[in-house]
Amino acid sequence: MATLDLINLTKQFGTVTAVDAVNLSVQDGEFMCILGPSGCGKSTLLRMIAGFEMPTEGDIRIAGDSVTHLGANKRPTAMVFQKYTLWPHMKVFDNIAFGLQLRRLPRAEIARKVEEALALVSLSGYEERYPSQLSGGQQQRVALARAIVLEPKILLLDEPFSSLDAILRVRLREELRRIQRRLKITAIFVTHDQEEALTLADRIAVMNAGRVEQLDAPTQIYDNPATLFVADFIGAMNLLQAQVSGGRIVLSGVTLDAPPGLQDGAATVAIRPEDMALLPDAAHAGAWRAVVEQISDLGHYRRALLDVGDGTLKIYLPKSAAVREGAQVAAFPRRYLIYANGGAPREVTRALPAEALTV
Amino acid sequence: MTPAAITPSFWMSTRRSFAAAMRRDGFGIIALVVLALVILGPLYSVVLWAFAERWQYPSLIPTQFGLSFWEQTFARADIQRALPFSIVLASVVTLLSAVICLPASYAFARIKFRGRQALLLSFLATNAFPRFGLYVSIAVIFFRLNLIGTVPGVILIQLVNTLLLMIWIPTAAFQGIDRSLEEAALDVGASPLRVFIQITLPMVMPALSAALLLTFVNTFYEAQGALIVGLPRVVTMPVLMYSLINSQLVVQYGAIVSFVLWMPSLLLLLVANRLLRGGYLTAGFGV
Ligand SMILES: Nc1ncnc2c1ncn2[C@@H]1O[C@H](COP(=O)(O)OP(=O)(O)OP(=O)(O)O)[C@@H](O)[C@H]1O
Ligand SMILES: [Mg+2]
Repeated sequence: MATLDLINLTKQFGTVTAVDAVNLSVQDGEFMCILGPSGCGKSTLLRMIAGFEMPTEGDIRIAGDSVTHLGANKRPTAMVFQKYTLWPHMKVFDNIAFGLQLRRLPRAEIARKVEEALALVSLSGYEERYPSQLSGGQQQRVALARAIVLEPKILLLDEPFSSLDAILRVRLREELRRIQRRLKITAIFVTHDQEEALTLADRIAVMNAGRVEQLDAPTQIYDNPATLFVADFIGAMNLLQAQVSGGRIVLSGVTLDAPPGLQDGAATVAIRPEDMALLPDAAHAGAWRAVVEQISDLGHYRRALLDVGDGTLKIYLPKSAAVREGAQVAAFPRRYLIYANGGAPREVTRALPAEALTV
Repeated sequence: MTPAAITPSFWMSTRRSFAAAMRRDGFGIIALVVLALVILGPLYSVVLWAFAERWQYPSLIPTQFGLSFWEQTFARADIQRALPFSIVLASVVTLLSAVICLPASYAFARIKFRGRQALLLSFLATNAFPRFGLYVSIAVIFFRLNLIGTVPGVILIQLVNTLLLMIWIPTAAFQGIDRSLEEAALDVGASPLRVFIQITLPMVMPALSAALLLTFVNTFYEAQGALIVGLPRVVTMPVLMYSLINSQLVVQYGAIVSFVLWMPSLLLLLVANRLLRGGYLTAGFGV
């Protein structure tokens, strides 16, 4: 129910810079995922927003007002932790009611709100249980109820479902998204699971070593990774070392066209496995000659590993593609990104030759 | 097995399986009986003496039971003074110890400061060496400070005794509480003080009660320090018992006083039993 602005937010632990000059604006009602590898500073960032860590530098604003110097108990944020943090000596009802009692609401209203919150997480009738009498998934749902019952302006979630099994995790995150849409709460969800981020988020902030590498909608992040790190971290990607010279990109085994204006020097070419097409074996301009090393059926698509002499390419094919292991083929990149000099990537798309095996 | 765990059903099943156990595990049973005789024998004799009017030599039990010595014992002026004084003294020492040690142990558990480990171990040091030497050197200092024979002097020396228990047990208990449980409470709007009172304290309560009770009982029984620092003017029950036994008055006095001195221990066992059975401990932690 409010915007959140992080301005130049920095946190140092001794000599370690956990969060490094992060600027981030979250819109009202937005579901923002913070995605990044272990140790990149996601939890630290969230804990600064909640008020558990004091920033070394920078400012945190909720609905335009700075909360940087406000204690955690005075901030309009509510957090769901990765660990189970229900208070073991209180029943489910008292766990959820605790924050309401602090606000001195009338008894009847507290009872009504607790009931509503429990209904929202599909746990009506569990009021009298102790946390130890709940499963892990139920405990995290109660923790979610405890957070949303206070109608926070910002809901913070630090990998809340990561200790649950895969099926439950998917169900709970869908439930969470439904609740968040219904209540229109601004939510920040930390995860290192990219599938989780790609399915849930309005926008994703990809973090690396304390910095935000890219802030974009999921499709943008997937289609146009802004940095080599994001390209490598999100989804499967073939990353190939290359040398640019005179309008050509020279890779091992193939030479590709460079987009206009690309400077000479070292570069990395990134190709998504699904952007690679297979052609019948013959010399084609800008295609590898390869041997199909291995084919695996992965449900609705196939993954093939191609031996291109001094390396392996990973490609995805539709199930209808007629290829078998050991076949000689040509691998044709239909779309690739070129990363050079740490700048923004250049994109190249190419028309498929008529004789392609795939559609 | 603690005596607290001995329930009627325990005895019944014991009786039923006694013969079988004897065949299977004869040596263990014999060892148990011998142990019981060694431990319970003296207690048995004290209890009998406490309720004996007369007990002449060849008889295995007192020749006449009665309570007249109880009246006499409690009519003694020294006991009338020492008993309430000991109770108040032990309570005051326990309370003071809690006030001093609980915040300290919370700090030990939560704040990683330099020298923390060394400081924690230093509390062990007071218990690792013979007490008597420590007491004598403290007594020398107290003598200069005019604390010998005064109530504050006795309180101080008994406080020293309580430090180890009252720091170590609560520190371990506080450490056992995940910090994010406290953060979650802060997060819903509780002030740090309220978090401590309503979240942290209830969770460490079982351990804390144990520490408080043990401290009370230990202090109530403490004799060496009270003897060296307190005499001649300050006399606690255990100190009085020394003199009752040494001056060879009447056996019954000693027996009755020791009987009375057991009360805190019995109370401790009862409360510990209640603590382990009731409330969220069973529901919450699956004990
Ligand atoms: N209290 C602390 N004291 C010292 N260093 C810390 C502290 N908390 C975090 N760090 C360091 O800061 C960095 C970021 O930690 P953080 O917990 O934010 O990572 P994360 O992205 O949440 O990782 P994960 O996905 O494993 O939870 C790490 O290098 C970590 O070691
Ligand atoms: Mg983390």
